[in-house]
Amino acid sequence: MLQSKTRDGRWFQIGVGIFLTTVLLIILIPFWRVIVTAFVPLDTYITEGVPFFLPLKKWTAEAFTQLMGHTQFTIALRNSVIITVLGVAISMTLTIPLAYGLSARNLPGRKLIVAIVLFTYLFNPGLIPVYLLVTSLKLQNNFLAVILPPALSVFNTLVMMGFFEGLPDDFKEAARLDGANELQVLWHVILPLSKPILLTIGLFYAVFFWNEFFTPILYLNDGNLIPLPVLLRNILISSSLNEFVEYNAFSTTSVESLKAAGVLITMLPMLLLYPWIQRYFTKGSLVGGVKE
Amino acid sequence: MKKWTTLLLVLLIALTSILSACGTSNEPADTTAAEPTAMTEPTAAPEAAAAPEATEVPEPAAAAEPVDISMWALASVTEAGPPADDWIAYDRIRDELGINLHYTIIPPQGDGETKLNAAAAANDLPDLFMIVSTTNDRDNLRTYHDLGLIAPVDDMFAMMPERTKTHYNNPVLIDLDSFDGQAYGLPNPPGITNREGLVIRQDWLDNLGLEAPTTPAELLEVAKAFTFNDPDGNGQDDTYGIGAFIEGSGVGRRFNPIFGAYGVVDLWNFVDAADGNFGLNVRDPQYYEAMKTMIEFTDAGVIDPDWPTLTKDEFRARWKQGRTGIMWEDFAALTNKSNYTPFDDNFPDASWTPLPALTGPGGEHVYGLNEANFSTYAVSQKAADEGKKEAIARLLEWMATDGYYLIGFGEEGVNFNLDEDGYITLDGIDPDLAFNSPAMQPPTQLRGTAFYNTLAEISARYPNYETNNGREMTPIKTYLEFFQSQQWIEGFAKKLIPPPENAADFYRYYDEGILQFALGQKELTPESWAEYLAGLDSLGAVQFEEGARQTLTDAGLLP
Repeated sequence: MLQSKTRDGRWFQIGVGIFLTTVLLIILIPFWRVIVTAFVPLDTYITEGVPFFLPLKKWTAEAFTQLMGHTQFTIALRNSVIITVLGVAISMTLTIPLAYGLSARNLPGRKLIVAIVLFTYLFNPGLIPVYLLVTSLKLQNNFLAVILPPALSVFNTLVMMGFFEGLPDDFKEAARLDGANELQVLWHVILPLSKPILLTIGLFYAVFFWNEFFTPILYLNDGNLIPLPVLLRNILISSSLNEFVEYNAFSTTSVESLKAAGVLITMLPMLLLYPWIQRYFTKGSLVGGVKE
Repeated sequence: MKKWTTLLLVLLIALTSILSACGTSNEPADTTAAEPTAMTEPTAAPEAAAAPEATEVPEPAAAAEPVDISMWALASVTEAGPPADDWIAYDRIRDELGINLHYTIIPPQGDGETKLNAAAAANDLPDLFMIVSTTNDRDNLRTYHDLGLIAPVDDMFAMMPERTKTHYNNPVLIDLDSFDGQAYGLPNPPGITNREGLVIRQDWLDNLGLEAPTTPAELLEVAKAFTFNDPDGNGQDDTYGIGAFIEGSGVGRRFNPIFGAYGVVDLWNFVDAADGNFGLNVRDPQYYEAMKTMIEFTDAGVIDPDWPTLTKDEFRARWKQGRTGIMWEDFAALTNKSNYTPFDDNFPDASWTPLPALTGPGGEHVYGLNEANFSTYAVSQKAADEGKKEAIARLLEWMATDGYYLIGFGEEGVNFNLDEDGYITLDGIDPDLAFNSPAMQPPTQLRGTAFYNTLAEISARYPNYETNNGREMTPIKTYLEFFQSQQWIEGFAKKLIPPPENAADFYRYYDEGILQFALGQKELTPESWAEYLAGLDSLGAVQFEEGARQTLTDAGLLP
């Protein structure tokens, strides 16, 4: 870090430090509270609520045990994984060639095509036409009903297109001189150079499909096809009604702990992916590729 | 050449993009939470212990092919998932009724409503479905009716004689599901009604040598003693007389004992509705008097001071910690074994006594407003056009007769037994297979469609048990039946009242104003009260009342 030698500079640095620390605390404190809530034992919750600091010996994973021990949990987890993996694969297969094609500056009618693509971004047909389309294609009770309608995100395509445009043309020219066709250029030259954007867009898609909640409710009538977010919501709705029902599956933990555990379970896979992918963001993959 | 190849490739993919754009927005849909609908609640007041009689279910037409019936209904236990494909009921329904049942669990609240509306817009409603609404079922039923999407069901009642006797015996509910003199909905019996009530710590009364209060003034004195006279004898100033939190409009129904003594419980004045005085309760001069009494309680410091901000869970945690001695509580939230155990562990010698309605200066003693929810099934016009009404009636009749126990409790001898009085018992049943075990929740998801609130049903669901000190806890006999014996005002009609156009602003002003008076933040005088009412009028209170009056008159519920 640059050391500021003037008195004003030092105060400025201290001010920045305080500001950033405050921002960090604003982010961390709620997150910490969610963690403590997820691990607080029922008797502590009943007697003193959720303490800010929970003694280490009191931490309990009962809420996680309850959620993960649910008979449908494994099924829902499997469904979420299928939707996410298949969704990312299909989305990337559609997004990459479109973005690559649109990135070619000499493409005839490029502006028109970009306008057409943008049109679909700006004007969404709405719920009912999509519902009609999906049902007419007989896709109900099929993961494709959840995956296909949002499979191609225009926003992601434009981001990827921007990245492709930034790649030096010299790479493509060199490949073409060696006799490569456009698909070969894309596959052998462009994609290996584009790991950061592929991982970024892949992550966007993964997060989107992992969190898919509404379309499964609409199209997946078979209860054995529901993904994790739907199951977790069902559990939370049910547990918050304990007073009304004779069947109390969660008498060993509180509703708040269940909610917090549900939040952590849902966010954890994506949270783990981010740092793993982040290393690709900073890689100067093109360094040395072109001799000016 | 390569340029044109690229162009072709891009055009093809752009076309794909346009098709794909028929996709939903990445923005999450509005999933505003709402009060749970009736199916998540158990069923209503016990009337008879009689098990349903088996009737001659009409034999399925000799047709070789079973009829396919699609059915969308809320789950009884939302989290538990659907019945397995090899559910024995599917087989019996196919073999005995000639019906292939395709049961889909519909999500509760706004998500379920959106799902139904999407299907309705696509003319793709299932054959038989439960109305799900975040506002009121009748509005949605009317919409489907106006669009010609649902069929009249009057002719079906005769096709299911036993079920009509047990389930469709409330003319008010049939009326609420009717338009132009024809019924378009099949109303399930409501959830357990009038299930909340006033309770007091008997051990605290005994410790202080006090009698149970019968008027608001006596309640205040007892609450003062509970707050300041160390009722638990632990030598610490750690108790409050009354525990509460805000649930409902204004200060909420946890203060029903005070407002009921003036006959002004809830937002609407259903007490005087029959006399042509239906309107907002705040217009009733008695409401002003009730508010003065409420302020006496807050000024005396006998209510847990955190009550305006407490959540339901926090409120319940506090009575389980022995912090409060008087409260308005749901019978199951208080006495269900899983709910009562933490309190019992803390205070094994304590007990809660249910109290009758307090009597106000004018002799009023209203306990609360009966606004029980009920769910409604509708039959799609498409199903009627395909001639499926008879099969649907056959299915529903079976669920109320021959299939009653199977749908409600599972298999006799495996999941439950019947004692000599016809009550459900788990004697001799493997606990892992008991009807109330986690494993048996999916196969009994449709029990709400079978149940009709017999004592046998409710007893099975809220059984007696022994407390830590050997006392027998009898949730139904001691609490539910006592609460239900009090004076409740019929408030079914509340469900029909459409919210005002500026609902958020109106309700915020209403609630905040009441709360400011109750907490002493605003002095209650005839002038300030008149000013508050004028503020309500400026937000359209008069139009709101006129609209409500018109709706209820149209539905035949007001003179």
